[in-house]
Amino acid sequence: MNRWPYGPTAWLVDDITAPAAWADALQAMDVKGVEEVVPAEASVVVRCERRRHDAIGLVLDTVVPAAVWMEREPPLTIEVVYDGPDIADLAYAAQVSVDDVVRLHATGIYEVAFCGFSPGFGYLRGIDRRLHVPRRDTPRTSVPAGSVGIAAGYTCVYPSASPGGWYLIGHTATALWDVERDPPALLRPGRAVRFVMVQA
Amino acid sequence: MVQASTGALRIVQVGFATTVQDQGRCGFAHVGVPAAGAVDRRTHDLMNRLVGNRPDVATIETLGALVVEALRPIVVARSTDASRHTLATGDRFRVDAPADSVWAYLSIRGGVDVDPVLGSRSTDTLGHLGPALLRTDDLLDAGVDPGSDLVADLAPDRRRDDVTVRIWDGPQHDWFIGGRQALVSRPWRVTNELSRVGVRLETGEFARTTRSELQMSSIGLVPGAIQITPSGEPIVMLANHPTTGGYPVIAVVEPDDLFDLVQTRPGAAIRFRRA
Repeated sequence: MNRWPYGPTAWLVDDITAPAAWADALQAMDVKGVEEVVPAEASVVVRCERRRHDAIGLVLDTVVPAAVWMEREPPLTIEVVYDGPDIADLAYAAQVSVDDVVRLHATGIYEVAFCGFSPGFGYLRGIDRRLHVPRRDTPRTSVPAGSVGIAAGYTCVYPSASPGGWYLIGHTATALWDVERDPPALLRPGRAVRFVMVQA
Repeated sequence: MVQASTGALRIVQVGFATTVQDQGRCGFAHVGVPAAGAVDRRTHDLMNRLVGNRPDVATIETLGALVVEALRPIVVARSTDASRHTLATGDRFRVDAPADSVWAYLSIRGGVDVDPVLGSRSTDTLGHLGPALLRTDDLLDAGVDPGSDLVADLAPDRRRDDVTVRIWDGPQHDWFIGGRQALVSRPWRVTNELSRVGVRLETGEFARTTRSELQMSSIGLVPGAIQITPSGEPIVMLANHPTTGGYPVIAVVEPDDLFDLVQTRPGAAIRFRRA
């Protein structure tokens, strides 16, 4: 674990194996002066009160994430209709059949590595290596809410309509993001997720 | 957007980006929600103080001239000339940034009363949360009168010529030869690519060290983070920055100086110095 000053009111912590678990362990410590803990792909940003910056830096050195970090809740199940416009392109890029794409995607257990890009957007890790493909060459200017995508070693569900460069393999009726709901985001770092195939 | 039964103000004319803003939405960055809030928090807070509000109630932020009409007598303050006025019913009132700055604020006594979303009345222009962009003929309500005394009539003017901004090392400063010195060594012109999300400075030369050959994974961002794009453009993150970003952060603007930077007009130059 390394920590880097990130201006006078934040730290960047990297060289950690499981940012979501590390962030969870820090949150559980309920450290005075910590204002926000934001896990990303391989690091965590800790925003804090300016006058507690140095002291909090020392506290960060003592964070011990659980050795085997298990989500307390069962996996969130998301029903997917595998009818996305890019499913054939993805199968071609990954050199598997369309049926394989569906089977491999719907049999995995995923974990929200981190959130970002838009409210409620989770980067789900755990996708079968055979489905690891880069982003599409040309992003779409608008991807409908509920679209299920694959790219860059992750799978995702677009929580709201937005531009997007992932291969779209299907869609779900589950609302990943709803500001009227508490909590508004279904996905948060560390949450386990699985997908099941349903017919349109 | 808000059809209130007893409006306090009617929007007569909006600028390029006229929104309701407060101190932002804290505590949801881990699920991808930007903080948003006023780009120039200092001026936002000051305009609230001029009308006797607490600093955390909502004001109107505008990029480009805003004109409002009072629907009942109301006390307002504008950053145009940092002054407070009591408007009579039917009065029209223009809010524009001073000649040497970018963002302007209008406060109303009691604050702008719109429904909060996740604890904030801020329009999040990136995550699309909170009230919509303001439009002509929108009606806005004022919140409960704070009951406070009005103590100041005119706020002190801040000179903005020759803006110098202090910077701290960013987490990837050692990806660049000289680190943040690469920013300190020369003045930087502000480009017209500016928004609530960030402002781009003119392209510079950033020679990279071997550390920069490491794979950059996206990291959480903070206001004032200065990212360097592959083509050498420094982009300074502002209030409505995305929660994470994928470019190396060479430096972070001192929070007390960030508001001087955000109010620097395109074409004007700023200087950095080490914090």
